[in-house]
Amino acid sequence: MSRAGSKPFPVKKIILLIGTCIGPLMLFAQQSLPANPFTDSTRFIELREVHLQARTASPQQRLVNFYRGNASFTLEDIMARLPEVSFQRRGPYGMEPSIRGYTGGQINVLIDGMRIYGACTDKMDPPTIYIEPLNLDHVQVQTGQNGFLHGSSIGGSVLLKMAEPKHDEEGNLHASVSSGYSSASKGWYESARLHFGTGRWSFLANGTYRKNQDYRAGGGETIPFSAMEKANYGFSAKYRLNENLSVKADFLGDDGWNIGYPALPMDVGYAAARIGSLSIQSEKPKQGWTNWNAKLYANRVQHYMDDTHRPNVPMHMDMPGLSKTYGAFAEGMRQTGQRHSLRLRADVSSTFLTASMTMYPPNEVPMFMLTWPDHRKMQSGLGAAWTFDADSNWRFQANARVDFITHRLTSTDGKEEVAVLGYDTDGRNDLLSNLSLSATRKLLARSAVFMNIAYAERIPTGSELYGFYLFNAQDGYDYIGKADLLRESSFQAETGIKGIVGNVQRVRVSYQLTGFASYLDNYITGIVEPDLSAMTIGANGVKSYQNLPWALQAGGEASLSGALHKQWQAVVTIRYTYARDDQGDPLPFIPPLKSMLSLRYQPGRFSAQAEWEAASRQERYAIRAGEDETPGFMLLHLRCGYSFPVSTSRIGLQAGVENVFDTFYHEHLDWGNIPRQGRNVYIQLNLSF
Amino acid sequence: MKLFSKLYLPIILSAAFFLNACTKDEAVTVDPTAQLIKLTEGYATGAATKVLVYTESSVINTGYTRFYLQLKDSASGADVTQAQVMLMPMMDMGTMKHSAPVENPVSEKATDGLFQAASVFIMSSMGGSWTMTFTVRRPESGKRGSLAIPVTVTDPAKATVKSFTAADDGQKYFIALIEPAQPRIGINDFEIGVYRKATMMSFPADSALNFTIEPEMPTMGHGSPNNVNPTHAQLGHFKGKVNFTMTGFWRVHLDALHGTAVADTTQYFDIEF
Repeated sequence: MSRAGSKPFPVKKIILLIGTCIGPLMLFAQQSLPANPFTDSTRFIELREVHLQARTASPQQRLVNFYRGNASFTLEDIMARLPEVSFQRRGPYGMEPSIRGYTGGQINVLIDGMRIYGACTDKMDPPTIYIEPLNLDHVQVQTGQNGFLHGSSIGGSVLLKMAEPKHDEEGNLHASVSSGYSSASKGWYESARLHFGTGRWSFLANGTYRKNQDYRAGGGETIPFSAMEKANYGFSAKYRLNENLSVKADFLGDDGWNIGYPALPMDVGYAAARIGSLSIQSEKPKQGWTNWNAKLYANRVQHYMDDTHRPNVPMHMDMPGLSKTYGAFAEGMRQTGQRHSLRLRADVSSTFLTASMTMYPPNEVPMFMLTWPDHRKMQSGLGAAWTFDADSNWRFQANARVDFITHRLTSTDGKEEVAVLGYDTDGRNDLLSNLSLSATRKLLARSAVFMNIAYAERIPTGSELYGFYLFNAQDGYDYIGKADLLRESSFQAETGIKGIVGNVQRVRVSYQLTGFASYLDNYITGIVEPDLSAMTIGANGVKSYQNLPWALQAGGEASLSGALHKQWQAVVTIRYTYARDDQGDPLPFIPPLKSMLSLRYQPGRFSAQAEWEAASRQERYAIRAGEDETPGFMLLHLRCGYSFPVSTSRIGLQAGVENVFDTFYHEHLDWGNIPRQGRNVYIQLNLSF
Repeated sequence: MKLFSKLYLPIILSAAFFLNACTKDEAVTVDPTAQLIKLTEGYATGAATKVLVYTESSVINTGYTRFYLQLKDSASGADVTQAQVMLMPMMDMGTMKHSAPVENPVSEKATDGLFQAASVFIMSSMGGSWTMTFTVRRPESGKRGSLAIPVTVTDPAKATVKSFTAADDGQKYFIALIEPAQPRIGINDFEIGVYRKATMMSFPADSALNFTIEPEMPTMGHGSPNNVNPTHAQLGHFKGKVNFTMTGFWRVHLDALHGTAVADTTQYFDIEF
């Protein structure tokens, strides 16, 4: 299919070339940017932040900052340590984030506020893969009543903020290079970052290259088709118009080659994303509208699945996919007097999706079909959060969001396929509304209890509406869409307490305890269609996406982090989610009880950290979704770091052992029960100036 | 620029096309034979009529074949739009002869100057020689005459005519695939012509059978949903819908029944696109 097909760009070579040229320049390097976490490890929330439930980032951000110190971590490694987040794993790369068991179309994943849709019908490419810790400024996971402010969703939002150039009048050049090795995947990690600011201009460039071989699971088994290679590179330029206003251009590129997905029947041959944006933003809070920014953006994701490396393939096939999105948004906040504040976001976007499959039987004509009938989704929405401080003890907040979304099939073949399934081909129009109300009551000096209720809706995904015989390796069924699916909606309630106890200087503990429950209406899931014959050779049958009458999901999270004499830090998180459908069966991909304990000792330049990770057995599994019982496990990771200055530069060395006991395990959300990485020794060197 | 070309180019082009079309439309009268192939021409001696024989393809395959006849008065050269036309295909196998199913023009009036007929060639010229005889009777003069032409019939890559002897009544039936002629992904018209062999020379259209169809991709072992079984429309033509979910090699299985009595369950048409 030519439509998905401009030629793969030889980015790999160009990156190697650039790397060779500028690498030596960066040898004496200083880590300018966020944060060597070993030096700013004590980021405790302030009361203001506890109080401001609207900006829930802080306890979570503290975890992110704590964990991003491990330079070998991917974004997925960091996010997986947040109590709200788990990942559906089809391979070691491209894991799909899940918030409290909500995933896919139930949540938003936005990069700098931009919508990016994967081009893979098998969900190999969630947008989180485009962010490396190197180009991440911060990640925010919004749940509950805040979860839909950036887009109608029932499960929340993952907001990824890319690093941006900082204003610097001096004309300083900051650069850093990192190189690392991981033993379990014989993997290399290389990255470089360059920051330059002069006068009104400032620039930031970064690149990351990873290449892993098939990794070794606990016990020694090598997992076939788990290798990967990718390059990620970004450039951004900012021009300061005046003290309050700047314009910015960003480009982010990501190329992956031969990325293995051991739980799926195919791998990725080549995948490419090009993400660009132009923005204008306010730099400093002031009267009137503050923290506002407006952005125009476009992105394009191409994805080519590949089975040529797999043995026993009954028939070779190509599966290209393409996603193109362009959009714009503006958001800002306005303080009215001392008591009211209003945050607004208006956005529009248009997404085109297509994917096809061509099979090549011997001595016959090729078989072609659209797996995603070409279609365009147009979305426009308005979100608002209004906060009212009634008095010094009470705060109320109301969030609302409306979205108008249209879907249109754009090709004759696409319409014909949808017609074959018996659906109307005129497309659909949906108006979605989301509303939440919350109240926060201050307790004691630095704690607060909160309670919120919300109603939220989400639009079915492209696959759920129009998917055409998409094979699901987990349950072995071909999935077809249902163009007239009803919107999934949820009534949710959340309550909790959070705060800080202890002395500011010596011992301090911050805590958060949250309980939540949602009643899902028209829960979307795959239901067996006994009369239809499976397209995929060897599949168990066909399922179509259908609305179940209802489902229920409830659970809780707790996190505790403490500091002692600034040299010791401890973080504990624990979470549990329960979910069932209307028949009383468990919902799929719900994580079991899981806890994580991290202890860090940092007397000076040296730091040492131990992480203990434990998950209980998951006995509540969804048989109809192909799940089985997942045994519990316990893991221990040990890490250490040392960083020291050499004249004007700084050298950092990090090393560690993950899965010290070489435990053979997999998590409940891992497809195909593919075991995770065994004992892994890593080392990473960072030079910065 | 891209936006420009996406939005405005089609508008400009369609405007140009529209203007262009307006100016030309008045001058052009559509030639009804423009899309057709002239097979041959000759005189129906006795009817004082010149017969021009058109088909849809220069190659005539076994199966359902449409003939389009243009008649001209052999004296004046004027178009003849009123005539009774009859077809008689004949296969000479040396030791025996037989005919084949035919569909004579339904009207004595030409449509767009053409008389449309059809024949179902039930075997190729490998087994003998086909002759097609067109008999023309001019109602105004009562004159009658015939043109006989040899026809070379080849077997297509995928057979479009099948025959079976019914298990229940012992009769021999021929089934010709008419649609889809241009198969594509999606919902396709499915049309077959059904004929019973009454004698060696008579193959009347049959409407007593009923059919169920089931498409399958033999290479993959799967079918397609929401097909519509063909039901009798007219003149032995049965119409339904067949759904193809992808391109490639499809086999449409056909079961024939008389009510609940099974006539045959072994037939299929292979369709590849």
